[in-house]
Amino acid sequence: MASTRNALRDNAGVAEALGRNYSAGFVTEIEMTGLPPGLDEETIRQLSAIKREPEWMTEWRLAAYRHWLTMPQPDWAKLKMDAIDYQAISYYAAPKQAPKSLDEVDPALLETYEKLGVPLHERAALAGVAVDAVFDSVSVGTTFRKQLAEAGVIFCSMSEAIREHPELVQKYLGSVVPPGDNFFAALNSAVFSDGSFVFIPRGVRCPMELSTYFRINAQNTGQFERTLIVAEEGAHVSYLEGCTAPKRDENQLHAAVVELVALERAQIKYSTVQNWYPGDENGVGGIYNLVTKRGDCRGDDSKISWTQVETGSAITWKYPSVVLRGDRSVGEFHSVALTHHYQQADTGTKMIHIGKDTKSKIVSKGISAGRSNNSYRGLVKVEKGAERARNYTQCDSLLIGKKCGAHTFPYMEVKNPSAIVEHEATTSKISDDQMFYCRSRGIGEEDAVSMIVDGFCKQVFRELPMEFAVEAKKLLEVSLEGAVG
Amino acid sequence: MSQPAPLPFVASLLDAPLPASGIAWLDALRRAHLDAFAAAGLPDTRMEAWKYTALRALGQRRYANGDAQAAARAVDPAAFDLPGVDGPRLAFVNGVFRADLSALDDLPAGLVLQPLAQALRQDAEPLRFVLSRHEPEQGDAFVRLNAARAEDGVALKVAAGAKIAAPVHLVFLGAPAESDLAWHLRHVIELGEGAELALVEHHVGAEQQHLGTAVGDITLRDGAVLRQVLLQQAATGSSLIRRSRLQLGARAQATLHVLELGGALARHELRAELAGDGARLDTRGVFMPRGRQHIDTQLAIRHQALNTASESVWRGVADQRARGVFRGAILVAPGADGSDASLSNKNLLLSGQAEIDTKPELEIYADEVKAAHGATVGQLDERSLFYLRSRGIPHDEARALLTAAFCRAVLDDLPNAALREHLAGLLANQLPD
Repeated sequence: MASTRNALRDNAGVAEALGRNYSAGFVTEIEMTGLPPGLDEETIRQLSAIKREPEWMTEWRLAAYRHWLTMPQPDWAKLKMDAIDYQAISYYAAPKQAPKSLDEVDPALLETYEKLGVPLHERAALAGVAVDAVFDSVSVGTTFRKQLAEAGVIFCSMSEAIREHPELVQKYLGSVVPPGDNFFAALNSAVFSDGSFVFIPRGVRCPMELSTYFRINAQNTGQFERTLIVAEEGAHVSYLEGCTAPKRDENQLHAAVVELVALERAQIKYSTVQNWYPGDENGVGGIYNLVTKRGDCRGDDSKISWTQVETGSAITWKYPSVVLRGDRSVGEFHSVALTHHYQQADTGTKMIHIGKDTKSKIVSKGISAGRSNNSYRGLVKVEKGAERARNYTQCDSLLIGKKCGAHTFPYMEVKNPSAIVEHEATTSKISDDQMFYCRSRGIGEEDAVSMIVDGFCKQVFRELPMEFAVEAKKLLEVSLEGAVG
Repeated sequence: MSQPAPLPFVASLLDAPLPASGIAWLDALRRAHLDAFAAAGLPDTRMEAWKYTALRALGQRRYANGDAQAAARAVDPAAFDLPGVDGPRLAFVNGVFRADLSALDDLPAGLVLQPLAQALRQDAEPLRFVLSRHEPEQGDAFVRLNAARAEDGVALKVAAGAKIAAPVHLVFLGAPAESDLAWHLRHVIELGEGAELALVEHHVGAEQQHLGTAVGDITLRDGAVLRQVLLQQAATGSSLIRRSRLQLGARAQATLHVLELGGALARHELRAELAGDGARLDTRGVFMPRGRQHIDTQLAIRHQALNTASESVWRGVADQRARGVFRGAILVAPGADGSDASLSNKNLLLSGQAEIDTKPELEIYADEVKAAHGATVGQLDERSLFYLRSRGIPHDEARALLTAAFCRAVLDDLPNAALREHLAGLLANQLPD
């Protein structure tokens, strides 16, 4: 434990050292050109070498890759997806030529920022403009890091963690989502580019909301993101992923893995706002977002809560889950998923009750517009020993337009007679009564729809940190533009 | 893909020659289905439709094809006697039609009721369409097996406008035999425009471990009304796998009351299509597995036309080491505006060894709809128990009362009072003492 503490204190120094390393640059040619498209064991060795990973990490990746080769791509989700050519992807891309100023950025993107009210200096950062001069995130970041280090919190990039905290990474990486868990998780384990590592030591309440937004050392985490958050006994942390503003992003396939570990009495709150490029109004282009997110309530009285607002991506395949292993542990899932045009979302959660007196709550709000399809798929499983387990699930779907679809596929598997599991779902459209009420009070059609949608989602939005909730509301407005009338 | 040796189950069912009907298209169809069955074998739990029903044990068993002695089996008619059901009757023993146990004299005007084999001999052509409808679905092993081997079944037709007052009783009885048998029946039921019929489908048997499969097509023309009771009391050692397809024309109405009580492995796939505007389907069902029973109900309702309605109320009670499986899928097709669909499935687990797996589904492709479903798995309400106990009712008795009330809810709107009381008695018997 003492050594961990010391390592934590040294964190700031580590970052500095790392910064130096980066500025010195990897002098190899590969660094400049990236890896050519294609995937084999050699690619993985090279990738691992570029990232200067220890031998065990390389072997771990190779084992995952070998397992991945034996797996078929799953086809059970209600998604129409073009076949993915895994050999056509470059698994380590050289940094892209960043636009030099906002003048070079796509005007459509700027317009969206305008509508969302993103502060001017942040717009540049989001659009991928080389930021240092424009946006002093460095100083902001450094201030935060100091504060975190004082509390003993480790918050760094995964690559850094592998080098600097190998004992923690080895102990926890893959312990929630094993490398062979599913097709996309295996792929991610083999080729993950980077991600965040968070470690909150025993008894520490993280002094601030952790956000990737302020994470200076893990920029360009790429398409195969790997995140690991560990909260030791009694620790608390709230982690925010993503951003309400659309990101400039050229990666077609995103296969991320997020693992959360909560030991005794620990609490982890993980919030996501996902707004990647959804493709145009004809369904051309857009991100495939195929993500495995799972939390493990390993200790008694622990709690893991997922909140997600999903508006982006052409395809979303994502089921943030909680394994309720500890007695009296609690799992929560709050979700708003909005699809428009030709977007497809198949998303939901799994709550696996193993410990006694475990509780889970699921609130899912799906909104379909245009020609999109939006499915909730969830599993609530109560194992034999989960005495008095309790689950409540509510899934509501809202249809806007005649060409879209809203679907609900809940699975309930119960093996304990003292458990209570409840599921309710409704599907409806915005009723004419509601519209008439708003219109008769002088509210325009689009505003009325957005008010009603906001009310529909309120249950989830109030789980978001406040400033995010405000942005999320705006985001839905922007995403629904053109859905009515 | 290498071909592994076929399962004992598959091998035993390929063993006997196919029945020869003398009708070329039918014989060719049977051959094609048998080949498909042989090639595909049994579905496994990796298939979504069979996720919760494993066929490993069944796959290791062997069955003799059909019962040559069925006509001679002694059967006590009391076994299938039902109060309130005294109309025409068609009875099968081990899958073989028994005229002596049937009641086909003086059929009411407008009703044609006969064994399918007889209907085929008279004129096969009208049956050709419905019997040739091909369903190339994955995991349809039993439907294929049935299509290959079923020689007989129920052929029932109600003429347009005919209203048949007395309920028609269809009896499927399993009788002990020298070995475990496999029998297959194929039913074709049609109600003409504005026709009305009450139907009781009754599976009953004791002390045998046969396998029965049944595939039925029920067609309701515009404005027809069907009230059907399905009482499944198959022998606790037997396996019974059924698929019913129900098609409703404009303004047609069907009401189903289902009691799934028997069988070691009982699976019923009920697929309903609300194909005409204004059609309505009400299903009420209860499944009560106990011992080591496995009862699986797969309900799929498609709303395909304007202003259609469906309401489904299902209850499950699993005791001892039993497993209850329920899937209730509602689909509202594009353009099926005005659809109103609701489904509720509530379940009680009475034992720490029992399991309930339920999956209500909604697939909605139209926006002018109301669709809702709910499912629960749990135990009796503590407050209700407390209420009864505070009034001096002993704990066990209070539990029994509440459990009985929980199941009985599905019978409340069954109009045939004598039958309703009898069925309520059967539910009470199935409950733990």
